[in-house]
Amino acid sequence: MSRPNIEQIDGVPVAHIKEDIDAANAAAILQHLAEALGPDALSLVVDLSDTGYIDSAGIDMLLRLSDRLDHRRARLILVIPETSQLKRLAMVVGLPEVVTIRPSLVDAMRETAKAQAQAAESR
Amino acid sequence: MGAQRPQTQEGGTPDAAIPATAGPATLGSSVSESRRSHLLSITDSALGYMSLEDMLSELLERIRDSLEVDTAAVLLLDEDRGVLVARAARGLEEEVRQGVQVPLARGFAGRVAAEARPIIIDLDHAEVVNPILRQKGIRSMLGVPVHVEDRVIGVMHIGTLVRRNFDEDDVTLLQLAADRAALAIDTARISEQRAVTEIMQRSLLPEALPEIPGMRFSAKYLPAGSGVKIGGDWYDIFQLADGQLAFVIGDVVGRGVLAASVMAEIRTALRAYMLQGHGLTEVISMLNELLVSMGRSRGATLSILKLDPPAEELEAVIAGHLPPLLIEPDGRAQLVEQRHGLPVGVRTGHDYEASRYPFPTGSRLLLYTDGLVERRNESIDLGLQRLTTAAEAAARQTDSPLADGVYRALLDETPLEDDVALLAIESLSLDGPLEMTLPARPHVLGGLRKTLGRWLRTAGAGEDELFDLTLSASEAAANAIEHAYGAREATFTVRCEHDGRQVTMIVRDSGRWRTTRPPGGGRGLEIMRALLDDVQVDSDEEGTVVTMTTRLSHQT
Repeated sequence: MSRPNIEQIDGVPVAHIKEDIDAANAAAILQHLAEALGPDALSLVVDLSDTGYIDSAGIDMLLRLSDRLDHRRARLILVIPETSQLKRLAMVVGLPEVVTIRPSLVDAMRETAKAQAQAAESR
Repeated sequence: MGAQRPQTQEGGTPDAAIPATAGPATLGSSVSESRRSHLLSITDSALGYMSLEDMLSELLERIRDSLEVDTAAVLLLDEDRGVLVARAARGLEEEVRQGVQVPLARGFAGRVAAEARPIIIDLDHAEVVNPILRQKGIRSMLGVPVHVEDRVIGVMHIGTLVRRNFDEDDVTLLQLAADRAALAIDTARISEQRAVTEIMQRSLLPEALPEIPGMRFSAKYLPAGSGVKIGGDWYDIFQLADGQLAFVIGDVVGRGVLAASVMAEIRTALRAYMLQGHGLTEVISMLNELLVSMGRSRGATLSILKLDPPAEELEAVIAGHLPPLLIEPDGRAQLVEQRHGLPVGVRTGHDYEASRYPFPTGSRLLLYTDGLVERRNESIDLGLQRLTTAAEAAARQTDSPLADGVYRALLDETPLEDDVALLAIESLSLDGPLEMTLPARPHVLGGLRKTLGRWLRTAGAGEDELFDLTLSASEAAANAIEHAYGAREATFTVRCEHDGRQVTMIVRDSGRWRTTRPPGGGRGLEIMRALLDDVQVDSDEEGTVVTMTTRLSHQT
């Protein structure tokens, strides 16, 4: 399987996943994503704009990732466009109740900036 | 033949060359009866049935008897290193045991090989590289080249412990023995190299072509007929994690084991890059950089293609290879026209371009190497025209795989001048019920979704329906795979049918539906029930059957 392409935008790790996420690779992807998060990172953006398919194992993986980030007081932000088939699936499983979802990378980055500002205030 | 030359053993040159004996020897009329029988013993056809080692040993033994000498040996030329290596010996067994090596043009044997003529020496006066010859106390030696056609492939020499004046009959007889040995050595070497190359070739071509509903794959690999000219042509076909199919055809410059080993490197690197999920232009650029950095002196031409079955789209990148042939559903064939990059392994930093082509049901794709179309003294355009015509005719014979038909049309009568690799991909109709039996392993999920996606398109499903149905079938399949966890050779089946309005999919395995799954588990069933009209799960001792039905809206 391929490693997600992870880049840093304004100090925030952003992972672009272009492959299908299913039972065959969900565990490996979770590991790569967890490793991508530095000790001081407040957010992780997972960009699913180009992901064509995700199944229950993939949803499960995202929930576990969200849990792990919670423990470190960091936030998971997913990018899922409104027109994506993934958006329908996310609604069916109630993903928006647990994880922050934004329709574009720009919106997601705005969200991370907010989190950074809040963190600075509380310091 | 001239008169016998006096051997100059005192003063003058330390050795003498015998003229007019290069090439197959003929016996003068002065040969005695005993020599005639010796000759028969050396040319005895029974020698041909022995292994090379036995044959050489036996031949040397007979030479020793016939010529009444003390030692006899054969050294073979290692062309890559430019040295002669002792291969068989009589009376000089140490030479073989110690693996004596004599550089070309040096010493006695080296000179015989370099000058490609018989040489006689007196060891009291001559330069000898091999210390064994002196230790043995050899006084006189005669050496002749072992050649195949014009090439010297080794040296055969005899020696005596007492000084002896070798005469022209000795030279003639030894040359005859050397010619006999040459034949056997050459045959053995060819079959040895051919065996190695054939094993490599076999291990490098896919063991079996994939079996995918609605697709037909066929392939041919034909090494050129004669000699060791087995080569660097190959094809490959494999499924990527997301279910897309990758096809490769290529040709490494040159032939033989070296070309085959470069091909092995390319094949492995290519599969690795593709399976990591890189795009085609990225893959070919990475491969190019890899080969250049490894300093491989052999470039390779190749094409890589990727097919997305439900999208009915083909993507191609070409590195100096002959263009793939596309046969449209209406039966017309045309060569793919796109920018060709350089062959890989030639120049660093070269950019490659990929192009996309529609590949609807009924389309066919033919990948081939130049041996299929190139004929001596003929323009390549003529060969490509012949291929196009042959492929169109073969495509009309729908009950026979395309590669077989093209092969029959183009290669049945003509002897091959070059290797040929041929790979055909045919997109057949996916009408009617779909049935698949798949190994219970997670890597089959991607392929299952692609085949199902194509079938659902044919059935008239819209985009949302296609997503919901493939997702649900994939969920059921993932569960079947989980049931079989740890069981080797386990399989599950998927059966899909539709009546134009309603789609029914049945996934059947031999395990129990897991109600206790890891955290978040059970979500699969929840998703399926939310997306489809109806989902039934029936579990008993025999296994689990998941039946999914949904009505198609035909809103596309």
